[in-house]
Amino acid sequence: MSSRRSSRGSISEEEINEPISKLQSLLPNSRRRGSSQASTTKLLKETCNYIKSLHREVDDLSDRLSDLMSTMDHNSPGAEIIRSILRS
Amino acid sequence: MAQCGGGGDLSRHRKGHLETVESLCQGLLDDVMLDDDKCRAMFGYLQEWQDLGSMCYGSLGEPPLPQASNGSGGFRKRRPEACLDAKAESDSVCKRQRGKQQQQQPCHPDQVAVAGKGRLERARAGAKKKVEVASPKDSPATSASTVTAGQKTDYIHVRARRGQATDSHSLAERVRRERISERMRYLQELVPGCNKVTGKAGMLDEIINYVQSLQKQVEFLSMKIAASNPVVNFNIVEDLFGRQLSQAACNPAALPAMTLPIEQGEPSCLQMGPLQQMQTSAGSSSFGLNMVVSNPYSPAPGGQISASAAMSVPAGASVEPCINVNGAAGWDIGAHNLFSGFDAPFQSVQSDCLLDNLKMEM
Repeated sequence: MSSRRSSRGSISEEEINEPISKLQSLLPNSRRRGSSQASTTKLLKETCNYIKSLHREVDDLSDRLSDLMSTMDHNSPGAEIIRSILRS
Repeated sequence: MAQCGGGGDLSRHRKGHLETVESLCQGLLDDVMLDDDKCRAMFGYLQEWQDLGSMCYGSLGEPPLPQASNGSGGFRKRRPEACLDAKAESDSVCKRQRGKQQQQQPCHPDQVAVAGKGRLERARAGAKKKVEVASPKDSPATSASTVTAGQKTDYIHVRARRGQATDSHSLAERVRRERISERMRYLQELVPGCNKVTGKAGMLDEIINYVQSLQKQVEFLSMKIAASNPVVNFNIVEDLFGRQLSQAACNPAALPAMTLPIEQGEPSCLQMGPLQQMQTSAGSSSFGLNMVVSNPYSPAPGGQISASAAMSVPAGASVEPCINVNGAAGWDIGAHNLFSGFDAPFQSVQSDCLLDNLKMEM
């Protein structure tokens, strides 16, 4: 009868609490230590934001690294080192 | 029967609002409502909750159809709860409106059909067959009138139909679950490969893995940059040192450690030291830290431990001014942080020497 729930893949709270708490430990600002029930939505929202910020950070760092590579092309030993790091 | 009694009881309320309600409910009720008693019960109930109706009109701009028809089934049995239920639902509908609209779109007609069926199952068990025939007909009517109205109505229908939670706690719980599902869907879009995983637990695992991998990626990239910057800068520093020496050592007393390797005739150790260290420790995740610790030119031949330990400090201290003057684009905050601890005590000592260097560079 609960067609909606089953279609969403209903699982118990215990099942979801474990990964949720794990996720919470991953987030940088885990200051919200309220009841996990109330904060799950918030946590997921923060996770969204955090993933976005990580994406941005990765892009930024990649850009910076490629900039660095291009600026030090003339400097072959350093570029060699970075290349070896990147390869590893 | 519940609504026959309700009809008699409440029919007096319907006069003023009958037209409005009738016009709103017409599409839905024409097909289903067979006898007048039931109609009256329906409208009477609607009037009973006219505050709710006005609330719906005001906040949603939608007809209060769902609550009315929903309640007509069981309002006799649980009227106080029904009041609470309906009000809470109408509140929650406002909040969840956004999510519902996309989510319910595909299954909408079915939901309405089921809802309609459930409503009349309670109302009249004997008429089940007829209702089942009729309900598919009324669902297009509802969806044709207003899509959002249909979405909201069927949602409320289903929720009430389950009958398992009419108290505000369960309603709040359901709202919460809905929000969580919404967030999960959103995360699913963000996290690649999450579409294949079914179930929230699997999705959460996937999300956790993804976040961890992203964190590692960021860490690794920043370390690469932090590591590559000193390498670049060491070469420049080496150049500076060489010039400084050829300039007859402007202040040897202030830089005893700096002159040491060069006096030993090993200028290449400046470059080779970090190079070797970084290549060996590149595999480890914390090689940036290793570099700082092991940077002090341990492979410098003949370099005493005390001398090589002191060496890293002026080198780090002089990196920043050098870079600023040379205008190298990629100076990194991470690298700055690595050496910032060393900057302070030696900056003042070195500043005059570096100033000379800067003048030379220009």
